[in-house]
Amino acid sequence: MTEKMGFMPGCSLPSYTPEGVKKTMEYLKQIYPDLGGVQKCCGKGTKALGQEEKFKERFAGLQKDIDDVGIETMIVACQNCYKTIKETSDHTDVESLWTLLPKIGLPEEVRGKAKDSDVVFGIHDSCSTRYEKEIQDGIRWIMSELGYRVEETEHSRENARCCGFGGMIVPANPDLATRVMQRRADDFESDHVVVYCAACRSSMMKVGKKAFHILDLLWGPVVYDDAPAPEDVLSSPAKSWINRYKSKNAVKQVVKA
Amino acid sequence: MEFKKNVLEQASHITDGCMGHEDAFCTAACPMHTDVKKYIAQIGKGDYEGALKTIREKLFLPNTLGRICAHPCETDCRRNSEFGQPLSVAGLKRFAAERADRKELWEDSVGEPTGKRVAVIGAGPAGAQAAIDLRKAGHEVVIYDKLHVVGGMMRVGIPEYRLPREVIDFEYSYLVDLGVEFKMGIEIGKDVTFSQLREDYDSVIVANGAHKGTIPPVPGKDAEGVFNAVDYLKDISLTHKFPKAGKKIAVIGGGDVAMDCARSSWRIGAEEVLLISLEELESLPASQEEIDESQEEDVQFINGWGTDEILKNKAGKVKGLRLKKVLSVFDENGRFAPEFSEETQEVKIDTVVFATGQQVEDITDGQLEQKGGGRYVTDPDTLATNLPDVFAAGDASGGAIVVQAMALGRKAAASADRFMKEKDLAEGRNFKLEYSFETRLDVPLPKGTENLPRTSGNHRSAKERKRDFKAFDLGYTDEQAQKEASRCLQCECKLCMTECLMMNDYGECPQDIFGEFLEKGEIDPIIPYSCNMCGGCTHVCPNDFKIGETFMGMRKDFILHNDGKSPMEGHKAIEMHQKLGFSKIFCTKVKGVR
Ligand SMILES: Cc1cc2nc3c(=O)[nH]c(=O)nc-3n(C[C@H](O)[C@H](O)[C@H](O)COP(=O)(O)OP(=O)(O)OC[C@H]3O[C@@H](n4cnc5c(N)ncnc54)[C@H](O)[C@@H]3O)c2cc1C
Repeated sequence: MTEKMGFMPGCSLPSYTPEGVKKTMEYLKQIYPDLGGVQKCCGKGTKALGQEEKFKERFAGLQKDIDDVGIETMIVACQNCYKTIKETSDHTDVESLWTLLPKIGLPEEVRGKAKDSDVVFGIHDSCSTRYEKEIQDGIRWIMSELGYRVEETEHSRENARCCGFGGMIVPANPDLATRVMQRRADDFESDHVVVYCAACRSSMMKVGKKAFHILDLLWGPVVYDDAPAPEDVLSSPAKSWINRYKSKNAVKQVVKA
Repeated sequence: MEFKKNVLEQASHITDGCMGHEDAFCTAACPMHTDVKKYIAQIGKGDYEGALKTIREKLFLPNTLGRICAHPCETDCRRNSEFGQPLSVAGLKRFAAERADRKELWEDSVGEPTGKRVAVIGAGPAGAQAAIDLRKAGHEVVIYDKLHVVGGMMRVGIPEYRLPREVIDFEYSYLVDLGVEFKMGIEIGKDVTFSQLREDYDSVIVANGAHKGTIPPVPGKDAEGVFNAVDYLKDISLTHKFPKAGKKIAVIGGGDVAMDCARSSWRIGAEEVLLISLEELESLPASQEEIDESQEEDVQFINGWGTDEILKNKAGKVKGLRLKKVLSVFDENGRFAPEFSEETQEVKIDTVVFATGQQVEDITDGQLEQKGGGRYVTDPDTLATNLPDVFAAGDASGGAIVVQAMALGRKAAASADRFMKEKDLAEGRNFKLEYSFETRLDVPLPKGTENLPRTSGNHRSAKERKRDFKAFDLGYTDEQAQKEASRCLQCECKLCMTECLMMNDYGECPQDIFGEFLEKGEIDPIIPYSCNMCGGCTHVCPNDFKIGETFMGMRKDFILHNDGKSPMEGHKAIEMHQKLGFSKIFCTKVKGVR
């Protein structure tokens, strides 16, 4: 049972938080000393546009990278990567970070760290994994391990609503996308929302929610009511690409360390 | 642009099965398809005039039907099938009529004159509806009735305490407004022959109802004091009296007509009223409301007994009944075939009224074929008879309640109109929509639905009402109507439309969007490219339709026809983005080592 494990940050996560990528990988490396790493897009965007051929080509490229470095099970922190690999790869297993963490546990130093926080987080589940109960359970487990309080809504879990980013509609129909984002934001009573997809975070930020990626909560400072949410980095292409570049380096560094 | 077969198939699968435009249970059950949901919602908002207008789009008798409609809508109401507590649809209809109906609101335009003339026999609801529709189509219409009053069985069958006569007269004045001519007091087959009528008019609608009362062949039926329900109720309706009746009245029958006879008996001064039925109390064919109201009025029910003999005194007058105990009413095939035991009992009475069914009289001198119950033989779809210019409607052609009579009147009128215009009687007609049908609507109960009791109305006390002919039901107050209206579940599907914002921009339900796509063979790319692919629609769809997947199929076809590129201007940036996402600068792969 010694599958070769690897980590793949995806696109939006490394563009948002190289720090988060680095810390996550460092922790995984403690558990799996021979952890491998791949940074590449899974091709979901290409697929969403309807570019079937191009998607096949691009995924094949990713598959080759995975095979080249001998990764048998890919750990992912993005729900689209999770679904794409699960549906497309015929031999690479995929495991969501959110189901893995409950199995391997959180580092001692973060457990219960937020027990004094006065924030109640609404949980924004990703619509792409609305039927992945284990992932959703994992998120709740992490929140509770950290000590944060959460609020469920009518549109939790399999009833999740899109953050507005899905299906590449932002560039196609921006007005509609904003309405979808606003509607999703209105599902939550709390101003604070925890997400586990960086694109969802950006959507929620655009319509005024204090949105935190769960990795912000895991590795960052304890969040109190008056603290602002991190900047909406994904709204700035320049910053995003710089971050993506930094994340790439982090992947290399951590694996080789 | 051509779409792939699988996309077209998926789209037609959705279009065919989508329940977005499927009628609510009430509306489908109503043979006239009144938009019940809509007017109940309007009442709920206090828009009584709007509600009345909605009702009047389909019904010229809102107040009448509000009081006496046998309401198939309530039987099929979701609150009935789930909780046994249907909306009081009829009661709300009456409320809207009482609050808002005024002649000024009536739509009384008629079509360009066609030069054709139609005779309608019978001023009951079937004849009246046919007359309205034919007049609206521009024909000249003359209604003949042997009575001097309008309304048919609503006037001379349904008792006045359930339906005040001024309500009928007011609502029927609409026909006069439209220019329908009435020839009252003329009996076809006696004063004017049916053949004469056919000669004088381009088409004839036969809607003479079922006015022949029946008396089963029981020993003693020739005694003095034995009557049938039709004659009994007609005289009471027209004169508030029935001098030949005594004081101890037995009504034989278990349906609504029997209840009407029994309750009317009190009102002409009876001292004792019995209701004798073959059926046991639990399986009486009468509506529960009528049973309850009769019992409140102290009608004595003798259920599960049949008439063995009518007992006479020496003068040949009724003095009592010998009854025999019923073992079963129907045989194993469900056919009416009562079986009796040896057990008997006698009751002392002086009058017997048989409410055991009404038959259709032939008024055509044998020119129209008849079948069971005297009903004329017609094509059920068009109501055409064996005579090309003659159409039969209402009870005379197989209806049993007022709102059915109206639908049949409308159907006959549509056929007569086609006949006079020398058009095919059937072509292009959707017969399903011309009568009650079963809706395909099959949706979960709305979240949080509670079993709320039906709002009871305001009935006068039984003691007071049973001695007069004034309305026994005073109708809803504003507050009661609001409360009752708020129970409506507004049954519809459109569940995906509550989830998806995008589809709302392009139609009322997927059927609109995909139907239009199939019809035109094309679709604006903005539509499939506005789908978030979030799966929310499929998640709530009772049919699990793969709506997002279908949009995805369209996207793929757009790409194929556009050199591998998205047709959306804004997607240029995404293509760049994706290219970079796969470029060396931002990608890496590292083998892990211990
Ligand atoms: C006692 C009773 C109670 C009922 N209660 C209800 C109820 O609560 N709710 C409900 O929905 N339905 C009820 N019905 C049924 C309903 O009244 C009938 O289904 C409906 O009236 C039929 O309409 P119609 O137009 O076909 O015929 P009718 O209403 O019977 O009208 C036929 C007309 O034709 C006229 N006519 C007959 N022969 C001739 C002729 N030779 N020449 C000229 N005119 C002629 C008659 O005078 C009559 O006016 C009841 C019926 C009865 C008998």
